[in-house]
Amino acid sequence: MKARILVVDDDEALAEMIGIVLRNDGFEPFFCADGAQALAAFRSSKPDLVLLDLMLPGVDGIEVCRQIRAESDVPIVMLTAKSDTSDVVRGLESGADDYVPKPFKPAELVARVRARLRPGDQKAPETLTIADVSIDVAGHAVHRAGKKISLTPLEFDLLVALARKPWQVFTRELLLEQVWGYRHAADTRLVNVHVQRLRSKIEQDPEAPEVVLTVRGVGYRAGQ
Amino acid sequence: MTKLEEHKPQLGGGSRAALPAAGSEPTDGPADSPTPRLARLPMILGRIKGSLRRSGVLLLRWVLRPAGHWLDRRRRGVRRRWRTSLQFRTVLVTLLIAFIALVGVGAYLSSQIANGLFQERLQQAKQESSRGISQVQESFDNAQLSDVPAASTYVRDTLKLLEVGGTDDTRRYLMVLVPGQNNSLFVATVSSGGITPAIIPDELRSAVQGHSGQYWQSMSLSAGSNEEHPALAVGSNVNLLGTHYELYLIYDLNNAQATLNYIQSVLWLGGGILLLLIGGIALYVTRNVVLPISQAAAVAEKLASGQLQERMVVRGEDEVARLASSFNRMANSLQEQINQLAALSHMQQSFVSDVSHELRTPLTTVRMAAEVLFDARDSFDPVNKRSAELLYHQVERFQALLADLLEISRFDAGAAVLDAEPGDIYAVIHNVMEGAQPLAERCGSVLNLAAATDIYGSVVDMDPRRIDRILRNLVVNALEHGDGKPVEIFVASDADTIAVAVRDHGIGMSAGEVTRAFDRFWRADPARARTTGGSGLGLAIATEDTRLHGGLLEAWGKPGAGSCFRLTLPRRSGAAHGPSPVGLPPGGDDDASGNLHLTGEPAPAAEFEAKVTGTDPLSGRAVL
Repeated sequence: MKARILVVDDDEALAEMIGIVLRNDGFEPFFCADGAQALAAFRSSKPDLVLLDLMLPGVDGIEVCRQIRAESDVPIVMLTAKSDTSDVVRGLESGADDYVPKPFKPAELVARVRARLRPGDQKAPETLTIADVSIDVAGHAVHRAGKKISLTPLEFDLLVALARKPWQVFTRELLLEQVWGYRHAADTRLVNVHVQRLRSKIEQDPEAPEVVLTVRGVGYRAGQ
Repeated sequence: MTKLEEHKPQLGGGSRAALPAAGSEPTDGPADSPTPRLARLPMILGRIKGSLRRSGVLLLRWVLRPAGHWLDRRRRGVRRRWRTSLQFRTVLVTLLIAFIALVGVGAYLSSQIANGLFQERLQQAKQESSRGISQVQESFDNAQLSDVPAASTYVRDTLKLLEVGGTDDTRRYLMVLVPGQNNSLFVATVSSGGITPAIIPDELRSAVQGHSGQYWQSMSLSAGSNEEHPALAVGSNVNLLGTHYELYLIYDLNNAQATLNYIQSVLWLGGGILLLLIGGIALYVTRNVVLPISQAAAVAEKLASGQLQERMVVRGEDEVARLASSFNRMANSLQEQINQLAALSHMQQSFVSDVSHELRTPLTTVRMAAEVLFDARDSFDPVNKRSAELLYHQVERFQALLADLLEISRFDAGAAVLDAEPGDIYAVIHNVMEGAQPLAERCGSVLNLAAATDIYGSVVDMDPRRIDRILRNLVVNALEHGDGKPVEIFVASDADTIAVAVRDHGIGMSAGEVTRAFDRFWRADPARARTTGGSGLGLAIATEDTRLHGGLLEAWGKPGAGSCFRLTLPRRSGAAHGPSPVGLPPGGDDDASGNLHLTGEPAPAAEFEAKVTGTDPLSGRAVL
């Protein structure tokens, strides 16, 4: 079955071009040119992944991202023309899993889309714990002190990667490779922002993390 | 207060002006003579000198003697205040000057008053004495005596009259036989008030014994157990029945001394109060002047630290108010200018950002389309196929150029921010080497890494994206200009600094080329084909990236021997970097073989160096 991809971009030429590329690679694209209608298009098309331009007329990409994230865990990849740190970080903080800076190569775009659509491995029943957080890997569920915590698939993968090897310190590059699936270092800010987001959900006090610890100068590791 | 004993007794110089003997004096009894007043003279002047000397010594001792550790600690604080507080300095100097002036005036007044008092008393004493003595002499002349007891009684009765002569101060007398006379009828020493011949100064006695006339001298008179009063002795020679006697009248000057003491204490008290008053006035005046100044300083400091809305308070219309209002005007115009500049910079930043966005979206479309065509080129006829290839490559080049342009305008707009965190420099270098491997193979070059192992480690505060960009640029440049010869990367560090040098052995650079290497759009050799299609902005961006890190990027070149670029970074972001631990070039300039040298020598004179940031003298101490 073809994966369905919703492309939210106000530039019709670019959207059409992206459509051509995606169709070439065996995806089924849907289009929406207006931020205000993006949520409706999302509901009607039920995509497996959303490609979202950060700058949209009406409701901007960040707001659209928030709306979609509020009702779905579907992977969101942002298309950004501004590579300024603040824009990228704002986009990621609003719930996007990844971003592709313009101008991008078609191959790059497809690689990112595939990485996010990676079918989850058939996971064996497995329960991991970090601090007071327990992770049911097969059931894709996280509990802290008996309360369920809702994580996006990416955040879940990040947590599982750390929890599987609590003795190992993960560099940002290693996490990019294991969690995002990028062989060559992309932007390590991706990791920083997602760790922040993960902490804000699972830590008692995100300022003093106990589950995902920072190892200064190296990267991150799971708490005890 | 001063005491009279300290003063040298002075023999009255006026002895020559002694009053004529008895005859010319009125013959009224001593009781009728004018009330004897005090008389004192130069002793008072001396007394003041003494008192000054003593208080001076006291003051010096008080100032100089370190009164324990407390004073030592205090002294430092006072010295600091002297340096930093205009008010403190002004008040202190005012007090010092006022003190000196008051002491001077006080001393002068005191001496004048003392002198006046003394002279008055002296004149009186002399007059009274001569009157009294002439009465006594007259009475002696009329005496008809035949035996000693009668003479003694007569003398005592006569002299009694002298005792009651004074009203102010008790006048005492002493009559003693001038020694060396052979006379059977003489009267023994007669005195009043416990006066003995011993207390009369010898100088005065010999003067009275030898000459007729009146002499005087100041002396001290013991009164009571250990009290001594200033006194004045006036002496004359009297004759009784052909026998000469010395007759002294002694005036106790204690009343005058008391008056003087009182006047002096009033003077000192008044001086002290005046000093306090002057100090207070100085404090008030300097406060009024200094307060606005220190206020202005505080406001200026706030302005300098960026609080541009800070203003001084304007009160009244005086000079201080003028200072405040002109200061505020200056602050206004400063704020206006700075805001204008900030607005301009902001405008430029948003312009860059907007252009970036507006250009990138169509470029993305073009690029994707070009790539689709490029991928399908094999199905085109040769003309279309070549066109598709050209389109693809030129779009790629266009994109690189645009990216570099946007990057450099971001630097120019001041929008570039350093995102530094501690990281391993080798991780970046390996990454760069891995990325440059395909190009190295195409150029036929070998990339070597020469790393000095040292105890300081390779972690440095850096923005990995920027350091990666700098090193990638240097390595790519070296490979492109390396003529297929090996390219070396040298790394070394010390406690504060890490340096990476990239050395090629290609065509090298001349002096002019070295100085222009960091210019925008400058190319080492315009005749060379632009094979890799660099934008010509690479080194300019690398320079800006280095500057952002507080580092130093330098170039060295020698035609035919290759070139070398060296990046020197401080280990801690924000700290200063030390001398570069890698030589420029590392290992000298003549090793065309590409062998790695482990010792560096200073670069020979025929080489050319250029620095783009800072003026760090190149050290010859390469550690590789």
